[in-house]
Amino acid sequence: MTLVNKVLLKISTAFVSIIGSSILVFSIIYLLPGDPVLSMIDPSVATPEMVANLRKELGLDQPFYIQFSEYFMNVLQGDFGQSVVNSEPVLPKIVEHFPATLALTITSAVLSVVIGVTFGVLSAIYRNKWIDIIARIIGLFGISMPTFWSGILLILIFSVYLNWLPSIGSDGWKTLVLPSLSLGFVGAGFIIRMVRNSMLDVINEQFIVTLRAKGLSERVVMYRHALRNALIPAITIIGLNIGELLAGTVVIETVFSRQGIGRIVADAIMAKDLPVIQGVVFFSAIVYVVINLLVDLSYSFIDPRVRRAH
Amino acid sequence: MALLLLLSGCANSASTKNSSAETNEKADAQPKQGGELTYALATSPDSLDPHRSGLAVAGRVFRTIFDNLVIQAEDGTIQPWLATEWTVSEDGKSYIFQLREDVKFHDGTPFNAEAVKFSFDRIIDPKTKSGNALSLLRPYVSSEVLEEYTIKINLATPSAAFLSNISQNQLGIVSPTAVEKYGDQFGKNPVGTGPFKFVNWTENADIQVEKNSDYNWGPSNVENKGKPYLDKISFKIVPEEATRIGSVQSGQVLAAETVPPQNIATLKNDPKTQLLTVNTIGLPYTLFFNQRKEPWNNVKARQAVQLAIDVDSIVKTLYLGTYERSWSPLTPGIVGYDKSLEGSVKVDIDKANKILDELGYEKGSDGIRVKDGKQLTLNYVDGSPNREKRNDIAVIVQQQLKRIGIKVEINITKDVASVIYTNADYDLYGNSQVNSDPNALRAIYHTRTPEEEAVFKGLPGGSDTELDQLLEQGTSELDQAKREEIYKKAQQKIIKDAWIIPIYVFPYTVAASKTVNGITFDALGYPLFNDVSIE
Repeated sequence: MTLVNKVLLKISTAFVSIIGSSILVFSIIYLLPGDPVLSMIDPSVATPEMVANLRKELGLDQPFYIQFSEYFMNVLQGDFGQSVVNSEPVLPKIVEHFPATLALTITSAVLSVVIGVTFGVLSAIYRNKWIDIIARIIGLFGISMPTFWSGILLILIFSVYLNWLPSIGSDGWKTLVLPSLSLGFVGAGFIIRMVRNSMLDVINEQFIVTLRAKGLSERVVMYRHALRNALIPAITIIGLNIGELLAGTVVIETVFSRQGIGRIVADAIMAKDLPVIQGVVFFSAIVYVVINLLVDLSYSFIDPRVRRAH
Repeated sequence: MALLLLLSGCANSASTKNSSAETNEKADAQPKQGGELTYALATSPDSLDPHRSGLAVAGRVFRTIFDNLVIQAEDGTIQPWLATEWTVSEDGKSYIFQLREDVKFHDGTPFNAEAVKFSFDRIIDPKTKSGNALSLLRPYVSSEVLEEYTIKINLATPSAAFLSNISQNQLGIVSPTAVEKYGDQFGKNPVGTGPFKFVNWTENADIQVEKNSDYNWGPSNVENKGKPYLDKISFKIVPEEATRIGSVQSGQVLAAETVPPQNIATLKNDPKTQLLTVNTIGLPYTLFFNQRKEPWNNVKARQAVQLAIDVDSIVKTLYLGTYERSWSPLTPGIVGYDKSLEGSVKVDIDKANKILDELGYEKGSDGIRVKDGKQLTLNYVDGSPNREKRNDIAVIVQQQLKRIGIKVEINITKDVASVIYTNADYDLYGNSQVNSDPNALRAIYHTRTPEEEAVFKGLPGGSDTELDQLLEQGTSELDQAKREEIYKKAQQKIIKDAWIIPIYVFPYTVAASKTVNGITFDALGYPLFNDVSIE
């Protein structure tokens, strides 16, 4: 199979996943118990007639297949519907808030890679030395501390006591530091473990011994050869990690009062604002699928074995 | 002959002393002009259209942008605002309001009888999809513009709650030209006659309003009737409690609402912050029995639970003395509140046990009572998240009722709408409501019609002819003293028959930097910013 064919196949699989996820999301929300109309008006003051009118207005009295086919036809034309809470169109809302989430996700990903790879490599090279112990502690904390907890801790230290960085908002780089640190630590924890383990595996492999025997400097052996091989599993983790990061923004955006699609979906769930929930989940599914596609394709460039297998 | 109710000018400046706030030391000094107040809200408003949003958090912003025809003072009296005086017809079904002639909307539209008619007609128009505002405005039928500044409002039935209701922020008067211009998006571009003009709303970040320099028609519950001292208010949306309190402590915002009880003590001792508290009025946080279910349709069974729940210790344990315990289906401060109910219910485990014995429930080997082979269980439903520690109340009640052999099953759910209001699948459920008039009782405690039940099951599903009559009389009785008596009887009846277990009165708390002066609250507990200045 040629590279082009492979890429085309991956893209079409991605497309199928996106359609599948849209059907899934719509069905789950449809089947959820509860009446969105009753959550929109205070049931203790509403009259039966008000409830009935609103239900009709929103098309919620229609059967499932009509609701779904109407929704899907509209989505194909770029219309994700309107928020039932304030009648705002959904797509522009997502487009407006996505950059903030993207900025947070990218910064966190970069931080987690930088922290994760650095400490992962160092702890493998200096195995059982003090730097290894520190790296493993960071890894343990990153994995086991929930983000809302580390977020609040960071706010207490850097915002309330030291007064160095803002605790809320989403304008400017300063507001990005604390949230992306707290989110990035989670990813860093996994990457440290992954890189450390695969580095240790690689270091003991025959080809490293050969390279050393050929008289290459330790630096070249470690960073050009060992690290490159150890990075393959790490990249898979980073790819999956971006999905985790996207999900993590829901919590972090709330803790740090940032704008973003995570906040939107959290608010929409509370308000049972179905068009918004559907829109954001659908949109996130697209982003997730695209990122995984890119990660898949990137193997080819990092690992010659994958490239040759084409 | 018309009955003259109130004339303008009887402003009662004492009514602003609603809060138990620390008094500002420099109250005598001339307030400083200018500055921006940053005020952290706990949740985001859904819309800034007062006729479409029913959220309390939106109400906190409405008071800056919109004015009402009248205002309710702390003592419950109705005082002028955009309306200078009014008369009520003898049958209680029509009101004639004289309006101020010097008011204009932020977009330059003149305020007049047409604008009032437009606002009220908009609320009853089904296209507006009005919810809470509509139920407040009822029994409104129509308006007639008599002269440019005189309007006649017609009601279907007399309503003693009408004036109080039109003082609520959801019945604020909106600019007709702005509504026509923005249509469905008016909630993102609100225009009123209030002390502040809407500037910008960045979703999930902040809502900004700026000083309305033309403002000169402040209501009686603020000192500063003219333009505000502040240049600007920025309402930041900060849902996370710890972050919100942290932002006040770090100085990133000047004030933050809804302080959790555990932070109140710390903030009181913080030399840089002040704590403002005001009890909201309406229906307190109340546990409602579901009287559609056995054995809770029996007054004896309900009374046993009433005698076994130690509300005092619940409120003291969870809120560390920062919340007031509630005794009645109404909160203190509302018209007709019956103070005599305070202390009326005492914990009596022996009596509770005896009642259950009499009902034929016998304690089994595990201490849980059994009758006809069925265990005495109580399905306690509460919403999620754990707002004001409401879920913790459920856990304590579970422990307390174990003492009399009732097994409490706690069901915490996000989906209160279907569990409670669609299926009525509960024995005990907690809820509260902010409201300015005791007529709020009618929506809850009046017997529900089969049509109402078909659409959704209201709380608490009981039926009592005597109570129905009291609640009906209360709605239409225009004599204030008689009306108060009626509601006192109704409250006594509800407690005597153990329809509910009232738990606590919700205090609205604001932590603010000491540099902020003059935050006050209206009768319902919504903040007012007319008198606010920053040192």
